[in-house]
Amino acid sequence: MNENTISLEENITATERGSEGPAPAFGAPSVFTVRGLGVHYGGLPALRDVSLDVQPREITAIIGPSGCGKSTLIRCFNRMNDLIPGAEVSGEVLYHGEDIYAAGVDPVTVRRRIGMVFQRPNPFPKSVYDNVAFGARINGYKGDMDELVERSLRRAALWDEVKSKLRKSALALSGGQQQRLCIARAIAVEPDVILMDEPASALDPIATVRIEDLMQELKQEYSIVIVTHNMQQAARVSDRTAFLYTEVDEAAGQRWGILVEFGDTSDIFTRPRDKRTEDYVSGRFG
Amino acid sequence: MRETFHRELERLDQDVVRMGALVEAAIENATLALAENDLELARKVMDGDDAIDDLFLDIEKRALAMLAQQQPVAGDLRLIVAILRCVNDLERSGDLAFNIASVVRKDLEIITLKPVSALVYELGHASRRLLSKSLDAWADKDIALAEEMDQLDDEIDDLYARLFKELFALSRETTFEVAMNLVLVGRYFERIADHAVNMAERIRYFVTGNEEHLG
Repeated sequence: MNENTISLEENITATERGSEGPAPAFGAPSVFTVRGLGVHYGGLPALRDVSLDVQPREITAIIGPSGCGKSTLIRCFNRMNDLIPGAEVSGEVLYHGEDIYAAGVDPVTVRRRIGMVFQRPNPFPKSVYDNVAFGARINGYKGDMDELVERSLRRAALWDEVKSKLRKSALALSGGQQQRLCIARAIAVEPDVILMDEPASALDPIATVRIEDLMQELKQEYSIVIVTHNMQQAARVSDRTAFLYTEVDEAAGQRWGILVEFGDTSDIFTRPRDKRTEDYVSGRFG
Repeated sequence: MRETFHRELERLDQDVVRMGALVEAAIENATLALAENDLELARKVMDGDDAIDDLFLDIEKRALAMLAQQQPVAGDLRLIVAILRCVNDLERSGDLAFNIASVVRKDLEIITLKPVSALVYELGHASRRLLSKSLDAWADKDIALAEEMDQLDDEIDDLYARLFKELFALSRETTFEVAMNLVLVGRYFERIADHAVNMAERIRYFVTGNEEHLG
């Protein structure tokens, strides 16, 4: 670990200390400050000039039609794009004021603070218990593992359903339970932010509502960014919404995502400023 | 399930009752100010109308956001629609209380005629009672109570008709200005009662899903 990594951790600790009081007032320091963010895959643009702020203990939703760069954007928040060959990120992503793309920042450290839950539940082929304990063990967790597993499962609203089958395979759980297990696994390493990329799109309506309820619980303690193609879901669960849209250059045969509008979710769904947002949320295209 | 949404809907529902209590107090004070020619109390009623309007706008904004964001259906949808209509009735009643208070003037005591003043006072009380009953019915979503409202409204219509008669009988003993103001005040109270009856309709709509008009 080098200097940058250490200062990132220090910065986070300072922020956490500062947020023990009442809920952050408007204008509180952002969790993420994104400025002029762009992503290219193999030299082709995928996302251009995105600027937005993610506030602490809020749910920020990213919506937009297929191919507008929603997943590309959310993957910038914990450097998941690093794992894609040929991906280049430009612009700034500041996490508690610190550039996570600065030379010397360890992406693994970033991902420990910024957890992620994916579209398809992806538990390890291990027991329920081992799934939750996995990250903590790797991190050399010294505390009471049973207690950590129980606490994480309770926070993920799954404990009552699995407490009698902790040693059973996680793969035997239902899809909705598996997704909540993945959330429990993500929060077991005590992250600060949880990124969710279409967390409910593979689930039935009841399991979806459970995940949405859970998100409301989780935002008391974590900041959440969610990508969803279900804009009603964004409307129901989020505090702020970013609407992305695809721009096309026919001549060059290129298309890329841009941020059209970012604001309070109630404004986006009752009085959007941009005609394209209005057309999208009212179902006129997309 | 959907606990956050249902908690917020409950808060919205309670705020309707809170708004109703402000309007009820405004009507009571306006009646009193008129009866006692109390300018200070009348001013208080008029100043208080801003708080009612603010609450109205706040409830309306939150209800609209819920419609846009929460996709309410069935009882939840009916409740939000009923709330939106109900706060309209309350806001209007608040304005009418403002109008009544604005009739109170230093240089012109409106209620100088004994038989008429008693009637105006009675009208004021009756319309406030009707609103109060309507708010109780709203708070408990009590459809039986809501249905009693029709009868009470008839009493108010009778009082209003009697006010007219008395004024004609006493036309030689008063000025045109006083008579006009009394007719207006009577009309305002009668309108307040109509809004209270409308609220009862909203309750019936929420509980049964039927759009029936009480009158």
